[in-house]
Amino acid sequence: MTELTLSELAAAIAGRKVSSLEATEACLERIGRLNARLRAFITLDAEGARARARALDADLAAGRRRGPLHGVPLAYKDLCHVPGLPTSCGTRTAEYFTSEIECTAVARLSAAGAVTLGKLNMTELALGPFGDNPHHGDVDNPWKAGHVSGGSSSGSGAAVAAGLAFGALGSDTGGSIRLPAACCGIVGLKPTYGRVSRAGAMPLSWSLDHLGPMTRSVRDAALMLELIAGQDPHDATSSPHPVGTPSATLEAPVRGLRVALPENYYFDGVTDEARAAVEAAARALGSLGARVETLRLPDPAALIDVAGILARAESSSIHTRIARDRPHELGDAVRARLEVGFHVSAHDYLQAGRLRARLTREFVDEVFGQVDAVLTPTIPEAPPLRAAVTAPPVDEVVRRMGRFSRLTRPFNTLGLPVLAVPAGFTPDGRPLGLSIAGRPFDEATVLRLGHAWEQAADWRARRPPV
Amino acid sequence: MTNSERDARRHVQAEAAALAGAVERMAGDLALGEEPSNFAVALVAGAPRD
Repeated sequence: MTELTLSELAAAIAGRKVSSLEATEACLERIGRLNARLRAFITLDAEGARARARALDADLAAGRRRGPLHGVPLAYKDLCHVPGLPTSCGTRTAEYFTSEIECTAVARLSAAGAVTLGKLNMTELALGPFGDNPHHGDVDNPWKAGHVSGGSSSGSGAAVAAGLAFGALGSDTGGSIRLPAACCGIVGLKPTYGRVSRAGAMPLSWSLDHLGPMTRSVRDAALMLELIAGQDPHDATSSPHPVGTPSATLEAPVRGLRVALPENYYFDGVTDEARAAVEAAARALGSLGARVETLRLPDPAALIDVAGILARAESSSIHTRIARDRPHELGDAVRARLEVGFHVSAHDYLQAGRLRARLTREFVDEVFGQVDAVLTPTIPEAPPLRAAVTAPPVDEVVRRMGRFSRLTRPFNTLGLPVLAVPAGFTPDGRPLGLSIAGRPFDEATVLRLGHAWEQAADWRARRPPV
Repeated sequence: MTNSERDARRHVQAEAAALAGAVERMAGDLALGEEPSNFAVALVAGAPRD
């Protein structure tokens, strides 16, 4: 049963072919068997999940369906505040983050009928792309033991890939949804900035944070997006822009859509197999009628510098207390990254904000005046050995972090929607990733392209050997 | 302060200075009317027309 997608399970429950309790028990059985190796969960709420599943089954028997996710077991990155469960944010403090309100995205999924299994492991304070965590254990890659799961939404990636949950929420400040999606061979959507409320989730950088779905299919990501998107009075940056129903246009032909492969930056230092996987996806979309061309993109290095100033200044402001009063509780690389923010001046921070506005306007005008979407690799190489990339010295670890996330970070500065989808596998079975970036608030097009590629490639049929 | 603490501090200050330098080089010709909130304006302006 855990091989079903979220959409397939929702339909099976609605059709009374399977109960929510059976689906929940199937997840709990896999968690019990696999979590010691994968370390995907920090907090498991088995009894809460069972009680909720029973209640939802009773509702359905009485003819009451709560919504599109009625009875579907999900799990959430441990920076989403869920009443009754601790929120560690990957730190050693069980209740590091508290909020007066439930995470809006979680509340909306629950209102749609989802069952909460628990809270998922993550890189400490969401600062790091490898999925290692000194307090809750390193999340392992379900496809290849000892290799990075990607981060910071590491538990979300591993749990969904390994069938411990049917979908998850992640957060993305520099790639933290897309990197684990790519490393774990699943789908991850970083929506447009403001598309999904950040209320009730631990902030890392108000300017760059995004919440989004992590799922086993593009259709599932579209469905989750429709449920969590939309303006929220608890988040002043949330947008009233209508989300529509991207799941309804997934099957629309991609013929005539213009997609670009970047001429600069995005293939520099990328392994041959990562490049070949993206080029194969471009050819497949071309064979479906999309017009594929190459395009020089506005300087991504500038976008990374702007993100660096914004992220460092904001994260050190948010986490001042732990960084100043209890730095010994933090891992070396996390402490070093927070420390940089204390040395960013107000002048530089404001200049970075102004530059971001100009760079975004220029990128949107220049790129989307010519194409509908941009294809890039998500990760520059297949998931590497965790021990190799997390080995000291700390300044080298920080440099490796920067290299591994260099393809995702520019899009946080731009705030554009980006879908990460599996692009293939190395001969030894490690996933490779494709990213599809689109116009602001045009998640429908990136999902449509991702769905077309997913159907053409059918990577979804492959399962990790766990 | 130990040698490794001094090294760490130097590394942090160097990274902050590098970021500041990069931003300063790009910001020289920013228009007077440019402000951070124009980012949100750019997103709305770039959205597809229905």
